[in-house]
Amino acid sequence: MHYEDMQADSAFGFDGNWKDFAKIALPNLLLTIVTLGIYRFWATTRERQYLWSHTRFVDERLEWTGRGIELFVGFLLVALIIGIPFGLISLITNGLIFRGMIEWVGALTLFLFIATYYLTGLARFRALRYRLSRTRWRGIRGGSDDQGFKYGWSYIWKSFVGTMALYLLIPWSMTSLWNERWNKMSFGPYEFEAYADSGNIFARFLLFYLAPIILIVITAVLAVTGYGIGGAIGDEAQALGMELSFVIAMFVWFFVLGLIAAAFYAKFYREVVEKTLWHDLRFSFEASTMDWIKLYLGDFFIVVLTLGLGFVFLNYRHWKFFITHMEASGDILLDELTQSTAKTARHGEGLLDAFDIGAI
Amino acid sequence: MEQSFRTPAQWYDGHNAIRHEGEAVWDGGGSLHLRSFSSEMDVALDDLEYRDHRGGELVYTSKEAPDFRLIVPEDLPPGLAAKLPGKQVYGGWIDKVGLGKASAAFAAVSLAAVALFLTAPEWLGPRVPESWERNLGQAMVGDLGNRLCHTPEGDAALAKLLDAVDLASMQVRAGVANMDMVNAVALPGGQVLLFDGLVQDAETPEELAGVLGHEVGHVRERHVMTALLRQFGLSILLSGANSGLGDTVFGLASMSYSRDAEREADEFARKRMEESNVSPLGAARFFERIGGDSEAEDNSLVGWVASHPAPRERADAFRKAAEGKTFSPVLTAQEFEALKSMCEDDPDVEEFDFLF
Repeated sequence: MHYEDMQADSAFGFDGNWKDFAKIALPNLLLTIVTLGIYRFWATTRERQYLWSHTRFVDERLEWTGRGIELFVGFLLVALIIGIPFGLISLITNGLIFRGMIEWVGALTLFLFIATYYLTGLARFRALRYRLSRTRWRGIRGGSDDQGFKYGWSYIWKSFVGTMALYLLIPWSMTSLWNERWNKMSFGPYEFEAYADSGNIFARFLLFYLAPIILIVITAVLAVTGYGIGGAIGDEAQALGMELSFVIAMFVWFFVLGLIAAAFYAKFYREVVEKTLWHDLRFSFEASTMDWIKLYLGDFFIVVLTLGLGFVFLNYRHWKFFITHMEASGDILLDELTQSTAKTARHGEGLLDAFDIGAI
Repeated sequence: MEQSFRTPAQWYDGHNAIRHEGEAVWDGGGSLHLRSFSSEMDVALDDLEYRDHRGGELVYTSKEAPDFRLIVPEDLPPGLAAKLPGKQVYGGWIDKVGLGKASAAFAAVSLAAVALFLTAPEWLGPRVPESWERNLGQAMVGDLGNRLCHTPEGDAALAKLLDAVDLASMQVRAGVANMDMVNAVALPGGQVLLFDGLVQDAETPEELAGVLGHEVGHVRERHVMTALLRQFGLSILLSGANSGLGDTVFGLASMSYSRDAEREADEFARKRMEESNVSPLGAARFFERIGGDSEAEDNSLVGWVASHPAPRERADAFRKAAEGKTFSPVLTAQEFEALKSMCEDDPDVEEFDFLF
């Protein structure tokens, strides 16, 4: 077995390298272009095969057994089952607008909005189920017997409740949805158990509320300074000083919000992974806020410096980030670890694809 | 038995997670004998399927038992390697023909598909029964409710104008939309609208006849259906690359005509006006007046300049059609005035302030 350089001290290891990945990603890009995008389902599959098979858990590599055709069929089904009704409804909406029946347009738009939300939740659930059911470790796979229809409703109402009280319940809706999703999943004969607590991430979330106050102070200081410095030089410089301060303030604003988002997400991810159990196994996720910031800054520069071409490496980077920061501890009794009896969906992540939700 | 036909191997039976580590023994026949302290079994070579190549190892699965995994080192004796299923990179026939050839073949098929999708509307559009288009138009647009201007005199004047440019027994529906914009449109389902802004802008009824004739031309030459089909085809084609449902659906709302279609519609207008003895000079003057700037004449969403023949060229064509002929006025001064005051005089007309 070739595991020498795969972080032997950790339960998870990754030994892929970007040059090998490029040999998959770049031909994938070519094939995706010449097939007008249809190849992307097979491209995704090939990428995952590479990433999974270069990922070690304890003493065995993962294996991705999903197939391109499953994703393709999933896409076609969604196009038929959801695309056609959505298309018809939008045609009808169009007609209603021309007829001036605005109340009906409003009702239909609301219906579409709710349906989209429901399907987004369903899609997230099913994508996780699909990924677990196509992931093998020591020949064993995961999955879920739940279809996710109930999760779709939870996704609607929990997201809605999350926005109440000035969005203060968002940490609750995020952790609660994570728990609900993972509690329905299993790997081999054992179910996952998730009990993430929003109380532990709430303090970080409050940074979002503190930020505007700090930023307004900074903006005011900058504006006054700019105004003052400009004023000392002349009227035109005064206006310029104001404008410049404004630009700097805008930059600071987005930068600070980005930092807070990273800080919150880092904490959220640590909390939910730590509170997700699989039988006697505990997990943890070690990425700090700084690690997330480096990840996204790295993404940004890779894409910009390669004039966009670098986006093909983002999946690789994110997977590597995910695996290298994952830890696990506890015992696995291999004798007891039998094959999953959960049903396997025959087709892939069509819904997720249709709503354009990115994977990890 | 030779040592070279013995190789270390690991396997999982797919029922539990126990790894069996031992050796695979091949006697030169059609099956592989796997043995370890914990397990002993035979697998037929033609039952194996290639799965993966990872960290110096090859992984095979079984057709009979899809959860079974056999892991062997990649440096197998050549005799055995030849008997095992070949490595797959892309899978399927791409491996057989090679990436270069496969890409070229895909590109050719894609180009053919694009060409088909772009040209099909041209011949398919005119073949769609008009009744289908009317139903489609009814669903998409309807009768526009109360946003068309109506007065008895104005309606009569518009009907007279329409008679001059649409001789078919089943005429298109024409209306003046209560919207202050120099524009006119042909909608799906054989409905033509002059915007009030354009009516106010017109200096002679002949100008309106020219524009109306042009829009009727779009309907009669089936350009509307063609444009709808083209939009629909493009949205299907793009759905491969772009998975967002929304874009696909709303793409339907935007339509545009080709330059050839615009020329055809102009020709249609000239022919009808000639038959009705209406002067094309009004239309010529209209194009001269709006020429230069990019004010949309009949096409709201795509830039005038990109999709329309040069206004100068269009004006010249209309001017030429007038040479050596005499015409009778298409409307009386009163009728023209009734058309102009139609929106102002309609007591209960509603605003038409969206979409265009």
